[in-house]
Amino acid sequence: MSSGTRLLIIDDDPDFVDAIRSILEGAQYEVDAAYNPKDGFHALQSQHYDLLLLDIMMGRGAEGIMLARKLRKDPKLSQIPVLIITGIREQIAFLFPDQPVHPHLVPVDELVEKPVEPGLLLERVNALLQAAEARKARSSQRENPW
Amino acid sequence: METKSKILIVDDEEVVLDSCTRMLESGNYQVATASDANRGLELVREFGPDLVFVDLKMPGKSGLELLEDVRTVDATIVPIVITGYATVSSAVDAMKKGAYDFLPKPFTPDEFRLITQRGLEKRKLVLETLALRREKEILRRNFAAIVSHELKAPLSAVQQSLYVLAGELAGHVTEDQESRLARMKSRIDGLLKLIQTWLRVISADIGKIKESFRPVSVQLAISNAIENVLPLAARKNIEIVSAVPDRAVCVYGDEGTLGEALVNILSNAIKYSHAGSKVLVAAEETEARVSISVSDKGVGISQEDLPFIFDGFYSGKSAPDAERGCGLGLAISRRIIEAHNGTISVESEFGEGSTFVIRLPRLEGAPQTPPSENAGIREEAPKGGLE
Repeated sequence: MSSGTRLLIIDDDPDFVDAIRSILEGAQYEVDAAYNPKDGFHALQSQHYDLLLLDIMMGRGAEGIMLARKLRKDPKLSQIPVLIITGIREQIAFLFPDQPVHPHLVPVDELVEKPVEPGLLLERVNALLQAAEARKARSSQRENPW
Repeated sequence: METKSKILIVDDEEVVLDSCTRMLESGNYQVATASDANRGLELVREFGPDLVFVDLKMPGKSGLELLEDVRTVDATIVPIVITGYATVSSAVDAMKKGAYDFLPKPFTPDEFRLITQRGLEKRKLVLETLALRREKEILRRNFAAIVSHELKAPLSAVQQSLYVLAGELAGHVTEDQESRLARMKSRIDGLLKLIQTWLRVISADIGKIKESFRPVSVQLAISNAIENVLPLAARKNIEIVSAVPDRAVCVYGDEGTLGEALVNILSNAIKYSHAGSKVLVAAEETEARVSISVSDKGVGISQEDLPFIFDGFYSGKSAPDAERGCGLGLAISRRIIEAHNGTISVESEFGEGSTFVIRLPRLEGAPQTPPSENAGIREEAPKGGLE
């Protein structure tokens, strides 16, 4: 299911993006990259992506989280699967003082830590895509989702 | 110093005010005077002095009262009392109330200037200490974010590229080259882990683990920890003997971090043991507590090291060089145990070995019921997803 599947990476570290991109392209995904949340959001609005790989700590803080919140509120983008890639698993907790350690930022997300083993990355990406596929199939089967 | 030091003198005797002002004229000072405590207090607020000289005996409000007022306005102002009685007891009283020094009347210009100098130095130290403390607090608060981003990000990027490179080169490199790649990966891994560990020590939020507290079996925690360190023990041919009660003993805690603490203590015991010796792990329960002890017959800890071993970045001098770590294991363990409302202590004889004891509140009754003080944070993380 890789070929024709479009992924977007939003991460402000070009070296990291390069490495991730080459892993994903090696698995026949089509990959675009944005190096800041603003460009990333713009890309999401103007083109269709099957999955977003999102860094948390960008710019002057956890701008990735701001972006995720924007996605959640956007009716068109709220269903896109998001793989959060972060170097600060535990520190994310700081941003949500009253919440459990791993809050879900969008309805569908998964989290991996930087650096991520290529095998694990591909596995998570694939799992998220398949789950999204299954959801889509379910909701098109039923006229009334609930 | 660029700005003039501000000195306020409060005395009901005009002649004292005048002469003091004159004595300071030659120096780089800005002087204000008041002839009673009320005016003095006003000037403390308006003039913002570095140093206040206060006559203890004044009509109306006393000098001692003024000292207390000064303290509430700005505790960094250095107060010095002038005492006409020259009685030691009134000066001592004043010093007890926070006066930094005292000036007995009559005094010579040299005495006065000397005490002024000393007082200003004190003021400088007080301000510096405050600034440092503030800086430290800011650093501590921001450190987690700074360290994680500024140090971890580049390392992660390097490691990520290495993963890719290793994949791309697979089958095209010699065995030597492959092992070099593997060593690079493992060294970077080590560094990443060190940063992560360090973050855990300094981050203020180890209390977060309380959110995932649930009943934890002590036996299970111990056997998991032993399993974890077995390879390390095997390398030095060390036998780990465990003596735990048959009856299930539970504590209320976080399995992951408790295990981490146990593994830290156990690996230390192994590290500092002589090859071929034994490490004993025992658990005992009393009515209220569970204590877990780890004893070794290793190198021990010297008396001079003992008080510091739970502080971060302290790796004992008695440690064999090859075994010297980053000195964080015990600091982390202590933070973990303290977050569990427990204590960790050590007894050691240099050259004879060490015994570490972890004491934790025992969980009574049905394992499903958390202690009442934790009832408010019993909410569990939402199901699914992030493991």
